[in-house]
Amino acid sequence: MSNFRQITTARAAAVICSTIIGVGIQSFPRFMIAAGDNSGPFIALTGVIISFLIYYVLTSLCQLYPKETLFVFSRRLIGRPFAVLFTAVIMLVFVIQTGLTARQFGDIATTVLYRKTPIEATIFLLLFVCLLSSRRNIVKFSYIHAFYLPLIVGSIVIMILISMDNITLLNLQPILMPLNHKFWKGAQIASYLFQSSFVITLLIPFMVKPKQAVRAGALAIFTSGAIYLLIVITSLGIFGAEESKLLIYPTLEMARNAAFEQGVFERLDAIFIVLWVISVYTTVYTTYYVSAYLIQNLFALRDQRMASSVLLPVVFAISMFPTNVFDTYYWSLQLGNAVMVLLIGYPLLLWLAHLIRLPRKKVPA
Amino acid sequence: MQAWKDIYTSYMHKQQQASPPEPDKSPLTGNLQADLQALQARLGDNGDLVVRDFQLFGAHQAAMLFFSSLVNMEQVREHVLKPLMAGPSGHQDIPDSIAGMIHYIWSTAVQVTQGTTTTDISVLPDAAVKGELILLIEGVPEALVLDMRQIDMRGVEQPQTEQVIRGPREGYVEKLENNLSLLRYRLQSTDFRIEISPIGTRTQSRVALCYIESIADSGLVAEAMRRISMIDTDGILDAGYIEQFIEDQPLSPFPQVQCTERPDKTVAALLEGRVAMLVDGSPFAVIVPALFNQFFQTVDDYTERFIMGSLIRMIRLIALACSLFFPAFYVSVISFNPELMPTEFAVAISGGRAGVPFPAVLEVLIMEVSMEVLREATIRLPQMIGGALSIVGVLVIGQAAVGAGLASPITVVIVALTTIGSFATPAYNAAIALRMLRFPLIILAGMFGLYGVMIGTILIVNHLLFLESFGVPYMSPYVPGKWRDLKDTLVRVPLWWMRRRPSFLHAKDNTRIAGSVSSAYVDQILSQEGETDE
Repeated sequence: MSNFRQITTARAAAVICSTIIGVGIQSFPRFMIAAGDNSGPFIALTGVIISFLIYYVLTSLCQLYPKETLFVFSRRLIGRPFAVLFTAVIMLVFVIQTGLTARQFGDIATTVLYRKTPIEATIFLLLFVCLLSSRRNIVKFSYIHAFYLPLIVGSIVIMILISMDNITLLNLQPILMPLNHKFWKGAQIASYLFQSSFVITLLIPFMVKPKQAVRAGALAIFTSGAIYLLIVITSLGIFGAEESKLLIYPTLEMARNAAFEQGVFERLDAIFIVLWVISVYTTVYTTYYVSAYLIQNLFALRDQRMASSVLLPVVFAISMFPTNVFDTYYWSLQLGNAVMVLLIGYPLLLWLAHLIRLPRKKVPA
Repeated sequence: MQAWKDIYTSYMHKQQQASPPEPDKSPLTGNLQADLQALQARLGDNGDLVVRDFQLFGAHQAAMLFFSSLVNMEQVREHVLKPLMAGPSGHQDIPDSIAGMIHYIWSTAVQVTQGTTTTDISVLPDAAVKGELILLIEGVPEALVLDMRQIDMRGVEQPQTEQVIRGPREGYVEKLENNLSLLRYRLQSTDFRIEISPIGTRTQSRVALCYIESIADSGLVAEAMRRISMIDTDGILDAGYIEQFIEDQPLSPFPQVQCTERPDKTVAALLEGRVAMLVDGSPFAVIVPALFNQFFQTVDDYTERFIMGSLIRMIRLIALACSLFFPAFYVSVISFNPELMPTEFAVAISGGRAGVPFPAVLEVLIMEVSMEVLREATIRLPQMIGGALSIVGVLVIGQAAVGAGLASPITVVIVALTTIGSFATPAYNAAIALRMLRFPLIILAGMFGLYGVMIGTILIVNHLLFLESFGVPYMSPYVPGKWRDLKDTLVRVPLWWMRRRPSFLHAKDNTRIAGSVSSAYVDQILSQEGETDE
């Protein structure tokens, strides 16, 4: 039984959505509020729209070649050496991103919840689970995301709903700010979260209806965007702008506040963190899978199984590289900038190549 | 096995050149061979279909046709075959013309209480699957249909492993013919197919593969036949042997085929479009494909009304989750995140644990292992001693262990809940899988707390998502999701809502409830309202 064209539009959306919701939800409100005080939600919204535009350009390009992934048709468009070079760069970016995301997770987990567990063990376990599950084909990859998505979205939404009680409306005003440099910088940071929607390039050749890839992405990006937006608004409403800037993980604090005096469990934040582990797992799993896939593609391996095994020590080493939390965030932001340039530049380059080659194709017909 | 390979090849051949045979409306021709062929074409190749040619009164060609699994062979021999095969000397007044022969046989020769004659060939296949014997004579365009049905029910008892509150009390027995007759008795359809052939170079155990021709996906049937035909072993002693040879992932702890003692359950599976296998000498049927969902469903869910069915099913799911997660959760909360508990409760627990020298993980492991030992011992012992042992084991040792400071009372409670939870999972083999996976989870909880439990859970769930049973994803219908199929998962909606068969089985005929049953229900309510208005 071939696994060709089995991923439905809904499942592709689920993959993107559960990928986007991940480690970022803990610190996202701080970045947004730091960038624009009370206009944090607007900055987040702008970031969502920017990332959708980038996604749209990329996906429209991929839809022109619905039978192949980006890395296969790029070889025809710009020639093999260039394509291989770009693929290698993208691969590197994703490997580093996997490592840094795992590290961010490890930082949060060990400083806040699992103080007795060494950070190495926490990160290694997460990566090991990713390694094991990366050995399967892309259809099973989409199954995993589809299965976990309701859990992830459900737990976050419930957490937000409980927290809503504590919102002070006064904290949310004033709501507008001038569109200055700071605003755009914040929007750019917000759009970093959505960079892993790049995974759609892998999914398109396996989608039942490749033409609906944009629709899937729109659904996913705006759903997850709405969740991020809600988190920023809630955090702002509960803590106010100035206090939110001081909290490293405002979302977690929110969960703590929400769960206080709730009955059976003294505090719900541990439960929230437990479910948050799943959302981090799905995020790291995607970047890990993309990295393994790219290695397989670069070295023309039969499948990504061996590549995923080779990847583990590399990613683990990268995740151990930053010395502290601030270092991790510094490097994450730097990487975000690099990916941004790459994700805008590369598809535009390929579009250009496509447009140049188009007339030549039509002549013989 | 060569015989199965032949069945598989001929099935594939038939599927490739298949156009479904038109229902026969023609009258009997009187040509014995032609009529027999028409009948056999309609009934398909079945292992238990008997066609017996003989010389009627030593003078005329005749044949009888019946299913050996449904009729009493001894009676056929004594009361039908013997008088009919006797020479002309044994009878007076045998009519000279062949035309009156049927009437003569019915009134004079056979000693059978019920029977009819018919000239319409289209009713004969249905008569045959009801357990009637069909007698055809060369040159006579009329058939004698004799009721010879006898379902041999001796030894059929309440199934031991799958007891129900409400529902049939029949379970399979060891003899294949009896088991097939239990199936045919419930499934009186000409579309029901049974392919029988031996497997095992030395045991030559007869293996029957059952499916409903017009429902089961031919790809699935072919795949089942292919896998059976690949079995090459010296002996098949139970359906469990077949199970191990044909399942997709032998290394997985989770069962990927369902085994059942219940004919009604088998028939329900066949009606959904699954394939069942029975082995001579085994009181179990093996049903494929089997999905995770099936292992916490019971017959009671469907025989009771839907609200109760749904409620009980949810309780069973909670029990299943308990049996898997409870001890691990307990260990991680105690050792890593005591802040999760309300303060008074935490104080009570630590008070109970004051005299226990071990860490929580060791304490739970000790108790869990001893519980498993106790359970295994109870199963192996004769029933009378088993009861006594479990009382001594659970009550006396449990109490003494707490008194001796080996375990805290709360641990005993947790372990007891876990054990009870694992008993509530209806399928024994699925319950074992969860019992097994409990231990790695406890160890992970002891090492990494809730994070370890979460990682363990992700591993288990991922494994479930990767599994397939005969090409059907194991977690269907949750993933890949189909809204329509979710009607019979966590909840069981009313039977009249489940109008279609599960889509993941790719049944040829997808309609389970034709017409509008729900509207009949609504009509009924409306008419009742009308009556009260008057």
